[in-house]
Amino acid sequence: MTLHLLHRHVLEDHLAGFETSPNPNHVSVVRRPVILSVLAHGDLEAFAGRLAAFSTMSARFCGPGEWLVVGSAAGADELTDRLGEVAGLSVCDQSDGKVVMAISGPSVRKILAKCVAVDLHQDVFAEGEGANMLCCHVACHLARTGADAFEIIVPRSFAGSVFEELMEMGREYALTASFAQS
Amino acid sequence: MTSYRLDRGGAINRAQALTFTFDGRSYKGFQGDTLASALLANDQMLMGRSFKYHRPRGPVTAGSAEPNALMTIGSGPRAEPNARATMVELHQGLVASSQNRWPSLRYDIGAVNSLLSPFLGAGFYYKTFMWPAAFWEKIYEPLIRRAAGLGKLVLEADPDRYEKAWAHCDLLVVGAGPAGLMAALVAGRAGLRVILADESLSAGGSLLSENVSVGGMRAADFARTLAEELASLPNVTLMARTTVFGWYDDMVFGAVERVQKHVASPSPELPVERLWRIAAKRAILATGAEERPLVFGGNDRPGVMTATAARSYLNRYGVAIGGKVAIFTNGGSGYRTAADLTACGVEVTAVIDARPQSIDVAPAGIRVIRNAGVIGTKGRHRIEGLLLDRSGFEEVVGCDALAMSGGWSPIVHLMCQRGEKPVWSEEKQSFLAPDVGPAFTPVGSAAGLQTVSDCLRDGAARAMAMSAALGFAAHAAEIPDVEGEYDAAFAPVWYVPGAKDKAFVDFQNDVAVADLGIAQREGFRHIEHTKRYTTAGMATDQGKLGNVNTSGIVAAMRGVSPAEIGTTTFRPFYTPVSFGALAGVARGEHAAPSRISPLHGWAKKNGASFVEAGLWYRSAWFARDGEKTWRESVDREVATVRAHAGLCDVSTLGKIEIFGAGAAEFLDRVYCNGFLRLPVGKARYGLMLREDGIVFDDGTTSRLGDNHYVMTTTTAYAAEVMSHLELCAQTFWPELDVRFVSVSDQWAQMSLAGPKARLIMSRVVQDDLSDAAFPFLAARAVTLRGGLKARLFRISFSGELAYELAVPAGYGEAVADAIMEAGREDGVCAYGVEALNVLRIEKGFVTHNELDGRTTADDVGLGRMMAMQKPDFIGKRLSTRFGLTAADRLQMVGLKPVEPHKEIHAGAHLLKDQAKPSLANDQGYVSSACFSPTLGSFIALAMLKSGRERIGERIVVWDALRGAEVPVDVCSPVFVDPETVKLHL
Repeated sequence: MTLHLLHRHVLEDHLAGFETSPNPNHVSVVRRPVILSVLAHGDLEAFAGRLAAFSTMSARFCGPGEWLVVGSAAGADELTDRLGEVAGLSVCDQSDGKVVMAISGPSVRKILAKCVAVDLHQDVFAEGEGANMLCCHVACHLARTGADAFEIIVPRSFAGSVFEELMEMGREYALTASFAQS
Repeated sequence: MTSYRLDRGGAINRAQALTFTFDGRSYKGFQGDTLASALLANDQMLMGRSFKYHRPRGPVTAGSAEPNALMTIGSGPRAEPNARATMVELHQGLVASSQNRWPSLRYDIGAVNSLLSPFLGAGFYYKTFMWPAAFWEKIYEPLIRRAAGLGKLVLEADPDRYEKAWAHCDLLVVGAGPAGLMAALVAGRAGLRVILADESLSAGGSLLSENVSVGGMRAADFARTLAEELASLPNVTLMARTTVFGWYDDMVFGAVERVQKHVASPSPELPVERLWRIAAKRAILATGAEERPLVFGGNDRPGVMTATAARSYLNRYGVAIGGKVAIFTNGGSGYRTAADLTACGVEVTAVIDARPQSIDVAPAGIRVIRNAGVIGTKGRHRIEGLLLDRSGFEEVVGCDALAMSGGWSPIVHLMCQRGEKPVWSEEKQSFLAPDVGPAFTPVGSAAGLQTVSDCLRDGAARAMAMSAALGFAAHAAEIPDVEGEYDAAFAPVWYVPGAKDKAFVDFQNDVAVADLGIAQREGFRHIEHTKRYTTAGMATDQGKLGNVNTSGIVAAMRGVSPAEIGTTTFRPFYTPVSFGALAGVARGEHAAPSRISPLHGWAKKNGASFVEAGLWYRSAWFARDGEKTWRESVDREVATVRAHAGLCDVSTLGKIEIFGAGAAEFLDRVYCNGFLRLPVGKARYGLMLREDGIVFDDGTTSRLGDNHYVMTTTTAYAAEVMSHLELCAQTFWPELDVRFVSVSDQWAQMSLAGPKARLIMSRVVQDDLSDAAFPFLAARAVTLRGGLKARLFRISFSGELAYELAVPAGYGEAVADAIMEAGREDGVCAYGVEALNVLRIEKGFVTHNELDGRTTADDVGLGRMMAMQKPDFIGKRLSTRFGLTAADRLQMVGLKPVEPHKEIHAGAHLLKDQAKPSLANDQGYVSSACFSPTLGSFIALAMLKSGRERIGERIVVWDALRGAEVPVDVCSPVFVDPETVKLHL
């Protein structure tokens, strides 16, 4: 007997019925992201530079010696293997445990001002920066990926709640949402 | 005609007429009006009834401090009580109604209270309605509440949206008057991130109401020019219609923005109000000053208002408050008002000055009566004349409005909300803002300055200093010339003696000077006691107009300086904030975020009813056709698990991945039982204690590799255990190499339990699951048929042969479906947490019902797990103290009712057989109880005094809440499979 198992995204129900043509302010949900928790052992300071060397992934700082590595196209196994080559790292797959919501658009900061308490001004929270923070009352990771673009990494079980509140906060800016094309 | 609209002047748009209704009658106003100014323009001075005596009242102010003109705005579920007509922006179709009157505002039966007023002074209720005691709650208080009051709360659900948001800035400027505008401009030009908040719709503050010219422009035009430049600066945010209501720790300010309070039908895309939390590095208080009312007999007659209000209505709204206006003043403000009114062609009958002499000059032809005081007023729904006293000579002066000025009180509330008290200044005869450090400073009138030019200068200078302190180079702004300003100096007059009528000090609460006297006589002398006894300073306006007069009068009564009396405590909110704004979107089911299990969809299609467990929704039971009660479903699920197999969602348990060479040693120290020699591929039940020796949490930890473990925690303590582990690793044993990460959300985890569990699981998992290959407590990675990698644990919380299968969350639903399909012919069922609970009670397994923060490992029968031979573990030292080892501690036992169908409830207490039901005879309590379908009897786990040696004894379960006493037999807590055969099948 062979099982054919369907993978289901937690926002499947929430995204049904949303318009397909995105507005300028838009939430794009990655259907199958690759997300790894990376934990450093020993001298924590030494690792940040080593992680930055991996160009196909971005390491999001979560705490001393702790990152979320978010991969693009490459598979989890390959990333895990590559990270495994770095001595003193523990790697743990979180691809199913986290939901990535990429929000972008001209009003993105005004929308996020209703979701997080952190100052997202360019001078304070520059592109490439990220931090753990409460977003819509849930502990999330938020990173700036562009001038008007952010990525929110949300624990899967909370994703529905966070998504609904995010969309509510984006209502006045006609925020739309869909799964990412790729 | 008494009060009326002028043909020209003011910041209203006469081309844009608006119709609105007040108490059902239709009126016309203009765009730019407030509800109060529009009503005055229609000669409607009577706007409310007072709180206690139901006296007719009109507006006293034109702004935020208004105590009298409180109305209900809107109708149906949108009706908002106690809105200040002076702050409500007029819009087309606005519906306003008066409050606290019956049958109508003009003819109010409640006004009979006014005749009884000699009896209704301060403390009357406390002294009169004392007997019989039971009458207070049922009769007196409801009656008093009916008679005295404000608007009525609407009980329908609010249809509107509210939001909360954060803002961040270098400098927050509170108030956009001359000082605030100038401060924001200087800081904005210097490049600071500035937020300028003002409660009005347009910036300008007093500039909008004062007849001066600034920089060669009308003051209002000057304000607009400044606001336009500020709006053009990208680093400056102007927040109109935004009241900063509170100052909190770490320079966070609370503000409420009225986004859509001024529109007829709010757009559903926008909130009606938005609550802001503004984090500012520095803040400037530019809130201006409040003009004090004078306290004289009959000072609450409609038509009596502050001189500033009279000028505001005149200059900003183009409304004359009367056709014949009298002025009563102790300073320059009264004279300025006379000049402004005269210039607009409004007749001023007299300027009555409380001072014997002054340098102030009234306009030509206006009679000035110095060294005089008003002691009474005439008229019913509007003042018709006043009685003045000049050294014993009384004179009646005709008028239809009276503008009064009693000096100035800087508006320092925000700076006094964090414990500091305002400071009395003998020189300024005012309470000034306290020094709260360099981060927050008052400017302009809020700092006690009086002229427009001083305010402009001060605003610029303070902003320069603050910019420099933050490392910005600010340039000195050119201070424009101000023409036509007046000297607002005054000589304080707290109380005008000889009052012929009540002299009100707090209009909103009907507190008169005599009431303050009673409070002093009766010993309520401290200003806070005076407030509580008289209610001065309470209710929606929080004494904005009256508090300083209250302090001044109490000081005068006691013959001391107001410095000795001080003020009552300032607290947020500065003005009332709606519950809607405070709640934001956190209403109803959105009050808290919810957590959804990866098997939620599976549970739903199998008919689950859900129960909230913390933020989680867990499947509680799975009703099938024909099952009428939850018990029927649960009994069937339990029986199915014991006979065949059942699948349960256990994804909500906390899961923590542990890495590091020090992990084994670490686990050995956080658990009370041994973990050093746990082999790879094995799971072990672990018990964590707190430092004090009490049980903290339990769960299983499995060794997946030499330096790799996965720990499970209870659902409730997942976060607490994670913090506990981090605390231990970071602060107790930093030398151990160990790291943690929560993977609770990564895995869908399901427990397949029952004698047929292996059979069914083998159809899904391709690895060999025979008892030899995958024995009890085996834990390792497996591959599902089809190739999906998963983790399998042979652990059981039911006493049956059981496996917990963990798969990546996105596959959870599909895998659970596959297991159900694989086990269909063997009778597998879905079971929920209720059945799970029954199964574990039958087996005598503990949960946080037993591990309730009071029990030791030994209390719950797990004493043998404590590996006391280990050098140390958390809780070891204190677990040996006498109190935790005493022989008469409560110990966990099982209970079986003598009559099997007598129900026992958790929480009930235990008594010795024949003992009188009383807490003195208390022997313990029931921790968990259920009906056991396996035994056909109610059963329970209980904590019983010296319980283990009392097995076989008959005792009584005493349920005082339900009035039941059930005889039970004490037994072992393991009701099924005491030899634990089934686990090893």
